[in-house]
Amino acid sequence: MATTTDNAAQLIFAPNVLHNQALTSVKFLSSCFAGAVAGILGLENWLGFALFIASIVSTSFIIYAINCRGKPAKYLPGGLGELVNPGQDNIFTFILVWTLFYGIIHVYD
Amino acid sequence: MDRLSLYLDPQIRDWVLFPITLVMILVGILRHYVVILLQSPPKKLSRAATREQRALTRSQILRATSSNSPIPLSFYKAISQHLSEAYKAGTYLKDGPPKADAPSSTPNPLSDPAAMDGMMAGMKTQMVMMVPQMVIMGWINFFFQGFVLIKLPFPLTLGFKSMLQRGIDTPDMDVRWVSSLSWYFLNFFGLNGLYRLILGGDNAADSSRDMTASPFAAMGNAQPGQPQDFNKLFKAERDNLEFAEGLHSWVGENMDTKILRKYGKLAAL
Repeated sequence: MATTTDNAAQLIFAPNVLHNQALTSVKFLSSCFAGAVAGILGLENWLGFALFIASIVSTSFIIYAINCRGKPAKYLPGGLGELVNPGQDNIFTFILVWTLFYGIIHVYD
Repeated sequence: MDRLSLYLDPQIRDWVLFPITLVMILVGILRHYVVILLQSPPKKLSRAATREQRALTRSQILRATSSNSPIPLSFYKAISQHLSEAYKAGTYLKDGPPKADAPSSTPNPLSDPAAMDGMMAGMKTQMVMMVPQMVIMGWINFFFQGFVLIKLPFPLTLGFKSMLQRGIDTPDMDVRWVSSLSWYFLNFFGLNGLYRLILGGDNAADSSRDMTASPFAAMGNAQPGQPQDFNKLFKAERDNLEFAEGLHSWVGENMDTKILRKYGKLAAL
């Protein structure tokens, strides 16, 4: 197996992988907006997390369909998993923004 | 389910909620730039020392592509054997070919000044990271203590009550009403994404890196460069080169028959 992973690693073009940072920014912004929506709507408990999961699914689907044209393995080294995974940072960002907006709108008069 | 709701003064929102977030964002950015300013530029190595470090990389690059190599066998062998001879004779070593009777020794990391610089840089970064966090926690505990700040939209177990409702002694209040310290924690974890957006991927304000890094990790990163005995490494590299030579296969091998087959001029296998 070692030879196949080496061969696959050889074919990766480093500057393009760096540009994939744009994907991380998109995920961050979408989790911010999802947090804002959840807070404004006053969603609680599992409904809020359900909205977060829905936002991840829809963002990944759009990127999958439009950017990756159905072949995420061609554009991302981690394939489908890396496309869908929001990353630990974005989960906490969602919770922070959700709490902020929930507090501003529903707790304070 | 009774919708028991506390009425909170809007001034708490204006004077506590937003200021804490703003201060944490600004301190994070400040930390990032302080770390950049504190970093001393890497020491410039002499040409011989640089050549010694890069020599190993040359053979590694060659070996990495040996099974799908873009160069035909004769070229590959020429480079590979030239490197092998050079390693054996020690022409790439910083101090010239080793004398037969001199004992080889690895420089002690504590006495080698270059490695010490690496360790000090790591520890300095650690201190810069920790100090602002302690200061902000102290500031929040001093000024913003004893009142409820916000209601969390999600429930938590009772175990969190002592941590998140510090200073508010009500045994029956829902864990979702929390004090300012918990807002600090939420910000601490949640602002990493924002820092990544503003300061770029490799920023020094990222708190998730504080947890994983430690002075030992920094030491481990600084060391592999200097105190290694390149002579021994070169000898080991010769064996690797021989092994890779055996694995060599040119991607352009039999290219003429492959192309003819692809365009149908030759009978397929």
